[in-house]
Amino acid sequence: MTTTAPTPSRLADARLSTLHVLHSEWIKLRTLRSTWWCAAAIVALSVLFGLLVAGFINRHGGALPTAAQDSATVAVATVGTNFTQLIAAVLGVLVISGEYGTGMIRSTFAAVPNRLPAVLAKLAVLAVLVFVVGLVAAAATFAATAGILPSQHITPHPTDPAVWMPIVGSAVYLALVAVLAFAIGALVRNTAGGIAAALGLLLVLPIILGIAVGLTQATWLENVDAVLPSAAGGQLHTFAEPAATAALSGPGGRAAAQSTADVVLNGWGGLGVLVAWIVVALVPALILIRRRDA
Amino acid sequence: MIRLERLTKRYGDKTAVDDISAVIEPGRVTGFLGPNGAGKSTTMRMIVGLDRPTAGTATVNGKRYAEHRAPLREVGVLLEARAVHPGRTAANHLRAVAATHGIARARVDEVLGLTGLTAVAGKRVGKFSLGMGQRLGIAVALLGDPRTLILDEPVNGLDPEGVLWVRHLTRALAAEGRTVFLSSHLMSEMAQTADHLVVLGRGRILADAPIADVVAGATQGIVRVRTPDHDRLDRAVAGPGVTVRRGDDGSLEVIGATPAQIGDAALAAGVALHELTPVNASLEEAYLTLTQDDVEYRETQGAVR
Repeated sequence: MTTTAPTPSRLADARLSTLHVLHSEWIKLRTLRSTWWCAAAIVALSVLFGLLVAGFINRHGGALPTAAQDSATVAVATVGTNFTQLIAAVLGVLVISGEYGTGMIRSTFAAVPNRLPAVLAKLAVLAVLVFVVGLVAAAATFAATAGILPSQHITPHPTDPAVWMPIVGSAVYLALVAVLAFAIGALVRNTAGGIAAALGLLLVLPIILGIAVGLTQATWLENVDAVLPSAAGGQLHTFAEPAATAALSGPGGRAAAQSTADVVLNGWGGLGVLVAWIVVALVPALILIRRRDA
Repeated sequence: MIRLERLTKRYGDKTAVDDISAVIEPGRVTGFLGPNGAGKSTTMRMIVGLDRPTAGTATVNGKRYAEHRAPLREVGVLLEARAVHPGRTAANHLRAVAATHGIARARVDEVLGLTGLTAVAGKRVGKFSLGMGQRLGIAVALLGDPRTLILDEPVNGLDPEGVLWVRHLTRALAAEGRTVFLSSHLMSEMAQTADHLVVLGRGRILADAPIADVVAGATQGIVRVRTPDHDRLDRAVAGPGVTVRRGDDGSLEVIGATPAQIGDAALAAGVALHELTPVNASLEEAYLTLTQDDVEYRETQGAVR
């Protein structure tokens, strides 16, 4: 019929739908190199730090109680999370700030003018991807270290929920950190600012608060410290241990054991607090996305 | 069809678009002309919901753009500023946009072919020239085979061949009965492409008329006259609403009288005429006449995004 029209009927059922928009966002996520650089870095850093800690944990020690062995297994598999969370945060910011920075967001919102379906789809594919990458990283780390640990009197029990739950939890944590960072990126709409804010919240604020707690011994500061995203979310990838074995656990467990804070979170409590952080950042971000000019 | 009703956009105390109403009809190319910063891009962004109007409404085919079930089937839009992630290839950019509506990959290949981008489909957009970026933007606009096209400065950065291509493309799209709304600050391009003009200056509509009327309206009743006897001609044609001014080259310009009236008056007064020419201004002159108040604005304010 014309020079520009498609083959007849090819476009007849073209319309917006949740599935279509999810597919679009998945195409966008997987067709940027930064996505795969971040994914590769998460897996590599996780394995690297796992191997490092596996090489030293209980190296010259003797036999350990089962709980201590499980705690060590979890610590080795998830120790990298303290670093990989920063990459997950960078990816989370980039996914949205990159669209604002390049003008891509105008193409996105021109195609999906109600905006929120596109933003939520973007968030969903980001969360799923980071969760899967986190799982791959944890599994790879576990596999890479499983051969080292038995020589140090640590027998991994991967089928024990106390062991696999915090290992899976590390992947959940990474996904939630990416989501929180995404919300921050959506608020700031600027890559440099978004990354600075996200890393400030995850990395710098805990250090400052830690120093403040050390200087003042103020209980309220310890309480704030315990509900920061990284501390609260850290419970997701921490072995829930009896007090006696606390000394061998990861950073999260140690802090809880020494703290005099009123706020003591377990995995589920930590999850709840982290989700609350996400809600606090995401709701205003979504409202602003709908209202602001693109 | 695009309908703007009392559309207004203010940024703080700056009014970018000031209470404009217009209907952009299907079946013809409507040029949207105005100096940089006149509010053309802002108006176009409001039509597709990227900017939120301070007041008023813009509808496309009877509904707000966002209310359509398949927005890309209704409106294809090329935005002035680049709206593409430079790290993605052209084909992947198109696939991502197409996927939002479940548009098949075959259509992506089609628009790549239509816009002459097939050979560079796998190249990252960041490496594209301005002209290739424009072609990609037009490819996106064509994806949904839309009934309405909104193209903001489509010939920007295109080589002469590309300019010609856009001219033929927009004329063909309008001939098929589609609505084509095309902005430019280049009068020459408009003169060859548009059937109808909406002229915008300082956020207000200065003209909304067929292109011939805009030209005629802005140069109404100027007649160039040459005569050896300026003073007697002056007296002969003098009357209410008629002014005579002297041109640089010794000619006279009579405003407010037709050539017939001037000729009759000269004959009655016995004044010899060596030339009697109605002046047909170009679109360029018409445009400058319309927007002359806005030139200062353009130079001091820059572009209002």
